Amino acid sequence: MSAEPTGFLYPFIDAEERDEAALVTELARSAQSKMAESRGLRSATLERCRDGIDAAAAAMAACFLQGGRLLAFGNGGSATDAEGTVGLFRHPPHGRSLPALSLVDDQAVLTALSNDVGFELVFARQVIAHGRAGDIAVGFSTSGGSVNILRAFEEAARRDLLTIGLCGYEGAAMTVSDAVHHCLVVRSESVHRIQEAQDALMLELWSTVQRYVAQNERP
Amino acid sequence: MALMESSVVSGLEESAAADLAVASLALARWFAAGATMWCVAPEWPSHGRHVAVEFVHPVIVGKRALPAVSVDAADAISVVRLAARPGDILLAVSSAGDTCTADLLARADAWGLTSLWLGAGSRPKGSPADLVVWLEGVDPAVASRSGDMVLMYHLLWELTHVVFEHPGLLEPGPERTDEVCVTCSDEGRVAEVTAVQPDRRVEVLIGGRREVVDASLVDPVQPGDLLLVHAGVAITSLGGAAS
Repeated sequence: MSAEPTGFLYPFIDAEERDEAALVTELARSAQSKMAESRGLRSATLERCRDGIDAAAAAMAACFLQGGRLLAFGNGGSATDAEGTVGLFRHPPHGRSLPALSLVDDQAVLTALSNDVGFELVFARQVIAHGRAGDIAVGFSTSGGSVNILRAFEEAARRDLLTIGLCGYEGAAMTVSDAVHHCLVVRSESVHRIQEAQDALMLELWSTVQRYVAQNERP
Repeated sequence: MALMESSVVSGLEESAAADLAVASLALARWFAAGATMWCVAPEWPSHGRHVAVEFVHPVIVGKRALPAVSVDAADAISVVRLAARPGDILLAVSSAGDTCTADLLARADAWGLTSLWLGAGSRPKGSPADLVVWLEGVDPAVASRSGDMVLMYHLLWELTHVVFEHPGLLEPGPERTDEVCVTCSDEGRVAEVTAVQPDRRVEVLIGGRREVVDASLVDPVQPGDLLLVHAGVAITSLGGAAS
């Protein structure tokens, strides 16, 4: 749908365009094809990551059963994924409520750390403050290369937290970092499609954690 | 979680895609005319913030930043009433049963706002918003975390920017005519009471502007109540003050 590269030479062509019905038809066609693409990517990602999800969920459930808490972080849209993840664990549609903390919610903390020590440490410093051995650090980065997310994982691993990373782009820094114990990767070139698939991964991860917690908390 | 079978989902997606196309054209026109979009997601506050950041900070370099503000549900009514300007957009992201959304949408016309309701699950009955974009056949609580909900506003953003590539279509279409009465061509408009004056007169917001109207035909009202006003007279009370 991108404009012709020479379109700026002939602005009157677009400016006089009046075929509204044709545009609406084209928009709907585009939306439907992107919906199918998103659904296909989510299904394929869940299928390909099945073992990774299972291993991460088993480790997370073990942490929760020992009293561990989940700490979640991300930037921009991924910050809202972190916030939504915390909501999902705290107030699940079914199953057991599990302790979770969002590191993106407090603007006093975020701006104090950004101003005083730099944005690269905005989550790492909170991991120092809140993280205990046996807690779980969950970070989202569609690029897999956000420095503040990587620094938080390094700090978390140093303190014996379990670390779970969700990102796009195979080969990105997060996918090869020793500090990330379980990395779930979405294979796509589109930030939007990656983000949608990350949501699906996290929902599946949460659902599997619930199953393991329920299996193991009773004799 | 099981993503739905392709055959089941494609029909539902076709309907949602058609909603998205119409909404994106309208949204681009409203933005082009200078609107700010006020985003509220009472059940899922993270979606309110996510949709706002999509528009303010485009993921694709070179796309224009558009004014969108996320508002907490707890004081959304007072914030939007105070800060929104006539011609702005109210975007609600919620399930059909959310009462805070219903309360906001009921007031949008009195504040002079056009409204867009984005959601999943059972489609809302009637036409409580100017435009409705709905993904049916899914559990809204699951859709909010499965990627479905974020997909819907990602597409709203993507298509809105496609419309911006067609400047000839950015001029608004015909005015809405659904409020015209067959006998007097002015059936009545929703107004929100802002202050009660002596002699059964009340100050109201109507289309985002302040007016004083005669409230002698309706039961006593208080600020926040909604009225149907015709020719300077309140003819019906539409309900109580916002909770």
